[in-house]
Amino acid sequence: MYIIQQLINGLSQGSIYALMAIGYTLIVGVVGLITFAYGEMVMIGAMSAYLFYTYVSPNFFLGILVAFAASGIAGIFIHKVAYERFLEAPKHIALLCTVGCSILIKNLAQIAFGSQGNAMPMAFETRPFYLFGTDLYITTIHLAVIAIVLVLSVGLSLFLYKTRVGLMLRAVSQDKMASSLVAINVKKVTLIGNVVGTGLGGVAGLLYGTYLTNVSTVFGTVVGLKAISACVLGGMTNIPGAALGAVLIGILENFGIALFTSSYRDIFAFIFVFIALTFRPEGLFVFRFGRKKKGGK
Amino acid sequence: MTAAKNFFEKHKTLALVLGIAVLLVLPQLTRSNYIRGVLARIIVYATLASGLNIINGYSGQSCLGIVGFTCIGAYSGALLTTKLGLPFLASLVLTLALCAAAGFIVSLPTLKLNGMFLSIITLGFSEMMRLIALNWQKLTNGPLGIKGIPNVHLFGWKIKSGAPFYYLALAALLLVVFVLNRLLKSRVGRAWIAIREDQDAARSLGVKVSHYRCINFMTGAMICGTMGVFIAYYYRYVSPDMFSLDEGFNVLSMCVVGGSGTLFGPIAGAFVINLLTEGFRFASEWRMVMYAVLIITMMWVRPQGLFGAKDSVIAGQISWKNLFARKKKEDGDVDHIGS
Amino acid sequence: MSIILEAKGVSKHFGGLKAVEQVDMQVKEGSIFGIIGPNGAGKTTFFNLCSGTYKVTSGQILFGGQDITNLPPEEVAKKGLIRTFQNIKLFQYLSVLENVKVGCHINTKTSVLDAIFHTKTYHQDEEYATRKAEKVLEEVGLTEYRDWKAGNLPYGYQRKVEIARALAAEPKVLLLDEPAAGMNPAETWSLLEFIQKIRDKGHTIVVIEHDMKFVMNLCDHIMVLSFGEKICEGTPDTVKNDRNVQEAYFGRGIIQKSNELSQEGA
Repeated sequence: MYIIQQLINGLSQGSIYALMAIGYTLIVGVVGLITFAYGEMVMIGAMSAYLFYTYVSPNFFLGILVAFAASGIAGIFIHKVAYERFLEAPKHIALLCTVGCSILIKNLAQIAFGSQGNAMPMAFETRPFYLFGTDLYITTIHLAVIAIVLVLSVGLSLFLYKTRVGLMLRAVSQDKMASSLVAINVKKVTLIGNVVGTGLGGVAGLLYGTYLTNVSTVFGTVVGLKAISACVLGGMTNIPGAALGAVLIGILENFGIALFTSSYRDIFAFIFVFIALTFRPEGLFVFRFGRKKKGGK
Repeated sequence: MTAAKNFFEKHKTLALVLGIAVLLVLPQLTRSNYIRGVLARIIVYATLASGLNIINGYSGQSCLGIVGFTCIGAYSGALLTTKLGLPFLASLVLTLALCAAAGFIVSLPTLKLNGMFLSIITLGFSEMMRLIALNWQKLTNGPLGIKGIPNVHLFGWKIKSGAPFYYLALAALLLVVFVLNRLLKSRVGRAWIAIREDQDAARSLGVKVSHYRCINFMTGAMICGTMGVFIAYYYRYVSPDMFSLDEGFNVLSMCVVGGSGTLFGPIAGAFVINLLTEGFRFASEWRMVMYAVLIITMMWVRPQGLFGAKDSVIAGQISWKNLFARKKKEDGDVDHIGS
Repeated sequence: MSIILEAKGVSKHFGGLKAVEQVDMQVKEGSIFGIIGPNGAGKTTFFNLCSGTYKVTSGQILFGGQDITNLPPEEVAKKGLIRTFQNIKLFQYLSVLENVKVGCHINTKTSVLDAIFHTKTYHQDEEYATRKAEKVLEEVGLTEYRDWKAGNLPYGYQRKVEIARALAAEPKVLLLDEPAAGMNPAETWSLLEFIQKIRDKGHTIVVIEHDMKFVMNLCDHIMVLSFGEKICEGTPDTVKNDRNVQEAYFGRGIIQKSNELSQEGA
């Protein structure tokens, strides 16, 4: 019973991670560089939603828009500072720039809003639904989180596969050189991809804050690490794989807490990634079709 | 400026002797124990940055979580002396071995992957170490940390904080630089630089990339780990928040600002950053913001840092050069087909 | 003369693209073997298969009778098969001399401890590497540039450094990927003589080249690739007069037309 309850919790938490991981993987794919500022994007989304709910309006859906926009704008900043000039340069330069952005944003936010936890205003009533007359329950927050993540994922895949811009995004993430040859403005498209990715991260931040009923300016780093972990599990540029990896991390964390102690929660995901990378460096959810296994003669 | 530079390039030994002399005299110029303490800390950080520079500057990868090893080192030093009563040197040797092992394990998943995975793994590792230090209450005393680390006793001398500790740290720094210099001027160092500059070419000449990357990472980890012991003895206290990611970025910015890929760069960086830190002490919270701006500015203006390896991949010119070379070659092709 | 490098039915497919298909090759010890073909014929891919950079889809590669199929590049190099690259890959930050010293890597064995304590092994290795590097640099005529940063050298010299670096490893077989690319005719000519000189010292050489005149004058034996398949093999004269080769280079139509023209003229 308890285990199934942990599975439910893990699923809904995992779906938040999945949203982050989707955004992250989109960025890695389109920009071609990893970012260490993503956790701060998530934090910006959560904080802006918190401020919006507290001072402007408690409308849940408007809050989502605000989170998306705030993180999207931050995404433009990251793009200008860390990517635009360095798309062709050795990777460590852009990487260190994103580290710089991360430190900058985190500390500016802490100076502006302090580092204490803030209670996230609840947009709707939290109510548990008991399943099949047992003491298993699923709360409205769980349901809302899973629903929003599903809607956004479907929306993203429609955007990627049914629109012209989506097509360009996919083209750029496959081959920048070839894309520029067919007159795609690579810089603009990477900007769009980056903004969409960070925007999704912002929404994930809002959901994370709602789920934990608490937001602060300091949770970005840890959350960013989870997005990176999920992305690594998925094989860096594989969006469904990353989402799957994220759900797995969510479930694993909840089992980890159940088995050991909650204070180690943020470590489990990482140990898992560490082991996964050691034994399957190409990512957990990358399947090679019709090719021989590595090292086979 | 350039005249001075040329002079020092010509008389390297003289510059070296001069530099060491300045470092030796430095703590005698002041009577304030506070300033001597700061100087000692700068030297410890310079060694730490030198260790990080071995990884970031000589392997073509970016390690973001070097304080993970410092954390291991500091706790091992603190525990060995407070729980087992081991002397300084003994705990130094044991920590060295421990950090070598840790470095080996951490490098394992990254050896066959491209550089950015090392950044991911080390960042996670650093945070992991801090969380373990924070939560393994029985061993580490949790957030309260370990107090009561004694003074260093070396060959019957008690080395007090201030000037004596400064000289101890300086000895460590010089030893590290000496060892690194010997390594870099040998087959091992050439293999490191070859891998950094062009991995494919290095492999085609029989350089085992994973082997040398592993050695490289372990060297860096060992240096940074042992500096952990120094940090434990310097503050005579360790706690988990001394090893946050911010602290890692602090060391990273020394490396980035001073310059990667040279032995002198990180030492200069340690002085620059620490003096800024001291100078802007009033700006407390804004300090990290300053580091961030410094890192970004450096990457924009001078990716190799103030004293870094300017012709190398680190300086970021390589891709432009390659583009140019390829263009030239294609022109060449056309000629030959025509002929 | 025995066969030192042999490919048996080697194929490489990238997804659906057959970059190299069922290629057989036999390189005799002490010969200069040329691989030519139009752009995109799979020459460099084939090189990458021989040197272990790519893994073969099927087939076998033998080096001195030993199976080296799918060995990693560093192991292949250790056996004595050293290559150069089409787009020069020098260690830009190292000096010319140090670049060539890296070439001595497989023939030296200094470890970390040797380097730190300056043991006997270290001194022997350094002396060997320095002497070897200086000797090779003298052979290619770059002694005066030994302390230059490799990245600052002119293009033609960079090629020479790359060859020197490969030679320092004392290869049994040297794979040269377009060594004359970007050189002027005079440089090309001196390169040709230089390669012959290396051969006379006992190295076997396999060379990819675009410049027909260069290949025809240099090689003992030539293999022609087109769209990943071997279309012709033999002495320079055989290859020159082969119809398939002419078609591959100039297209079928032009050959027919020129034949018609020459017939009309006659």
